[in-house]
Amino acid sequence: MSFILSFEPLALEPREHAEAGGFVSFEGKVRNHAQGRSVILLEYEAYPEMATAQGNELVEEAMERFGLLDARVAHRLGTLNIGDTAVVVQAAAAHRREAFEACEWIMDQIKWRVPIWKRETYADGVSEWVHAGSAPAEPHSDQIRFERQMRLPQVGDVGQTNLQNARVLLVGVGGLAAGSLPPLVGAGIGAIGLVDADLVELSNLHRQTLFASSDAGRQKVERAAAFAKRLRPAIEVETHFEALSETNATRLVDSFDWVLDGTDSLDTKFLLNEVCRKLGKPLVTASVHQFEGQIMTILPDGPCLQCLFPEVPPDHCVGTCATSGVLGVVPGILGAMQANEVIKGILGLPTLDRQLALVDLLTLDVTRLERIFNPKCPICSGSERSSALEWDLQHLPTFDFDLIDIREIDEQPNLKRPHQRIPMTSCYEQTFVRPTVFVCATGRRSFRLAANLRAAGNRHVFSLLDGLCNPALK
Amino acid sequence: MVRVNIRYFAVLRERRGLSEEQIETSAATIGECVNQLVVEHRLGLPVSLIRVAIGTDFADESTPVQEGMQLLLIPPVAGG
Ligand SMILES: [Zn+2]
Repeated sequence: MSFILSFEPLALEPREHAEAGGFVSFEGKVRNHAQGRSVILLEYEAYPEMATAQGNELVEEAMERFGLLDARVAHRLGTLNIGDTAVVVQAAAAHRREAFEACEWIMDQIKWRVPIWKRETYADGVSEWVHAGSAPAEPHSDQIRFERQMRLPQVGDVGQTNLQNARVLLVGVGGLAAGSLPPLVGAGIGAIGLVDADLVELSNLHRQTLFASSDAGRQKVERAAAFAKRLRPAIEVETHFEALSETNATRLVDSFDWVLDGTDSLDTKFLLNEVCRKLGKPLVTASVHQFEGQIMTILPDGPCLQCLFPEVPPDHCVGTCATSGVLGVVPGILGAMQANEVIKGILGLPTLDRQLALVDLLTLDVTRLERIFNPKCPICSGSERSSALEWDLQHLPTFDFDLIDIREIDEQPNLKRPHQRIPMTSCYEQTFVRPTVFVCATGRRSFRLAANLRAAGNRHVFSLLDGLCNPALK
Repeated sequence: MVRVNIRYFAVLRERRGLSEEQIETSAATIGECVNQLVVEHRLGLPVSLIRVAIGTDFADESTPVQEGMQLLLIPPVAGG
């Protein structure tokens, strides 16, 4: 047993390990004040079976996470006086740093995960039960945490719930993730997955600001997970200390709703593009070079990275951060833009889909390019592309159909052909039995509407390419 | 000969040493035009790996070159 509950004063003797270069023993004490009130007595109570099971589980997790030689925890139950030892955590490792960090990690985890409560008796005679640590956020504290963004009409209760139900995978935990992870966690994304096989290096730290200098040599995924947990303890974080490859990609991506590409390898970017398309997952891809970046949101029915570059280029011919250099703030900004795309996507707001944005941070120019769909794309030239293009009509159909202008009622000019006007939001509340062609100003809103209605099972809806600019309407 | 405006991005900007220039070209298509630039300035990427946009839209390399065209040369970018 590595996790012991005891009603007796704690006495945990260190075990000897010849390979241990560091042994840390931490004691948590009963102090005489809590939140400004004077404490005279403390009582611990647990649900012992569950507390022991969870305690053992987290000690084992710590052994693996920090590569420890040994770890043990003893926790007091019953009545304690000021100065008594409430908990002892011991960790032995080859080097001192792992031992120190493991002790702190175990203490935090005990407070979050192990069902132990304490009753504090104050000098005024009042006593109160409190959870032994900072328990995962309760609903009312989330209300406070997210108040400022829930005030936005585009978020509200429903949007916030959608964010908290969302699962987002970050592939590559480097400079782009340093920009995307904090706002994603801050926004209340329910679960984050982290995939990276690298350790933190000193040369990363000018742009990978999730990490501290003392993290050098540690797993990026593990340190990024610690960052996320500090920012929002209630978040679920899954770490994968491995590189994305053809063998693991489907397994890693499958349980997530959105994927962020933060890798620095073209091979991985194109693999991710292919896997996300196959699994129908939206992907936000981005990359940086010196003072500029590219970003694109790839939806399951939109153009993909290989539409942009049909041939997968070898990494060495396009320059990397290591060979060409990069200003640290550049991936930070592009990463934050990726987070913005995901958050908007989850909230149902317009994203950068079907466009590539080129962001020049020397001049602050943003160039957005369209018409990415490419007949030479080996991924989209299959059935998915043709089905996407079949409902994105180049010409008005020859069969009998209804034409619906989905722009807001006050948008000008009016169509010259017979049509109905139903604003897009109202279209979602209708059933379209007859073949229907939607028109908007540019073809973008109508494409999205047709795609969403088709996803909801409506087979006879179409979008007119280029909207009002389509020659068929002239 | 026609005059076209060229904008370079990412590694092409780095290798060309400038962001934008006006050139005179006898190339018939935008693919040919890009190929001439790649050779002349040793841009280090085959034309098949460079995507070209005219104004705000990506275009096929067989598109004829026209006077006053604004061509954007976009290479793949790998850094993260
Ligand atoms: Zn494609």
